[in-house]
Amino acid sequence: MLTNDQLRETMIASAGEDESINLDDEFATRPFTELGFDSLALLETCANLKRSYGIEVPDELLWEFSTPEELVRWVNGTES
Amino acid sequence: MGQRYRIVSGESPVVFLLPGQGAQHPRMAADLYGSSEIFTATMDEAFTILDDTVLREIWLRADPGPMFHDITHAQPLLLSVDYALARTVIAAGVRPDAVLGHSVGEIAAAVVAGVFDFADALLLLATFVRTYRHAPAGGMLAVASSPEVVDERLTGIPDVVIGAINGPRQVLVCGGRSGLTAARRRLLADGVTCAEVAARQPFHSPLMNDVPAQLDGASPDPYSTIRPRAPRTRMYSGYLGGPLDAAHATDLQFWLSQPSSPVYFGSALRAVLAGGPCTLVETGPGQSLSTLARRTPAVARGESRCLAALPPRRLAPGADTTAMAAMLDQLSHLTTDVPTRKD
Repeated sequence: MLTNDQLRETMIASAGEDESINLDDEFATRPFTELGFDSLALLETCANLKRSYGIEVPDELLWEFSTPEELVRWVNGTES
Repeated sequence: MGQRYRIVSGESPVVFLLPGQGAQHPRMAADLYGSSEIFTATMDEAFTILDDTVLREIWLRADPGPMFHDITHAQPLLLSVDYALARTVIAAGVRPDAVLGHSVGEIAAAVVAGVFDFADALLLLATFVRTYRHAPAGGMLAVASSPEVVDERLTGIPDVVIGAINGPRQVLVCGGRSGLTAARRRLLADGVTCAEVAARQPFHSPLMNDVPAQLDGASPDPYSTIRPRAPRTRMYSGYLGGPLDAAHATDLQFWLSQPSSPVYFGSALRAVLAGGPCTLVETGPGQSLSTLARRTPAVARGESRCLAALPPRRLAPGADTTAMAAMLDQLSHLTTDVPTRKD
């Protein structure tokens, strides 16, 4: 199970302290690219999801998800 | 900053961002070919000047194969697509107050800024291609870490350097094939995220320096007719990490050294944003520079904004046209609620 808040924390950690990202309440429905997440930052997010929650997202699937919501839905659908 | 922005009727200044190697993808911007008059004319102009009939066919192929990412194809196509998109946006009534390109995107930016005629820029690039296609096999690796951390990890690995610093946590490691493999292995083992950039030459590494000397001087100096001018539109340079001055712009050697020189895109972007609120517009395939910009404090806080002319990646047919139309629509709704730049 992955919640939006857990993904948000992971995304903030992935962006790093010296980067500025603004993940507001609507972040889950906004495209990753609009949030400043390119393929490299998404790979970093997935590496951190694995570290923190043991969740594995195959690299080749990453670009299938346009928004955080879609990624969360995939994780929860796969695990349930 | 020395120069001042031209502020038109209270609107925030527009800064074009033009991406380089790695941003290319099959059929990039191709939906606009045939549907946008100015885009189509500019691409056709490029194919005519380059005298390369195969290039268009490769560009329009859905699955062009790995050679698509080679300098011979990716670089002339990126220059042409970046510039054709910039012209399309300008033709729609949005003139840039400043331009910033990444790598080959800087040459496209220079065309927009009036440093080169399009034909001269293509000639310059064609000569780069003829020269550097003989470079040792290599490429680039994008690394999600700071330059300090990456530099430390590269110790003892031959033929690789930090070739670009794109942001606080995005660095490109550039160099030879075997060195990149070793660097990748070490970084991954240390838990540092990295991803290969679609490239087949060791751009922005000293390996590119070895090449020109190996070529014979049989043909006349291809650069003899190229006369770069001072930019008419304010321009920022990734190689300088800040504004491009007339002295650098008019020095042909500055342009010739670019394929082997490091890119400080992050610094150049910071310099752009330090001038005050602006609207960044990415005129190139994908959204690689937009995502970098969206992680800067100025854009994340909403002081400056960032729009992209094209979708982040290859989507359904027609997506290029839809994205361009949506962006132009957003640009036309720019109002005075954007804070005015205090230069």
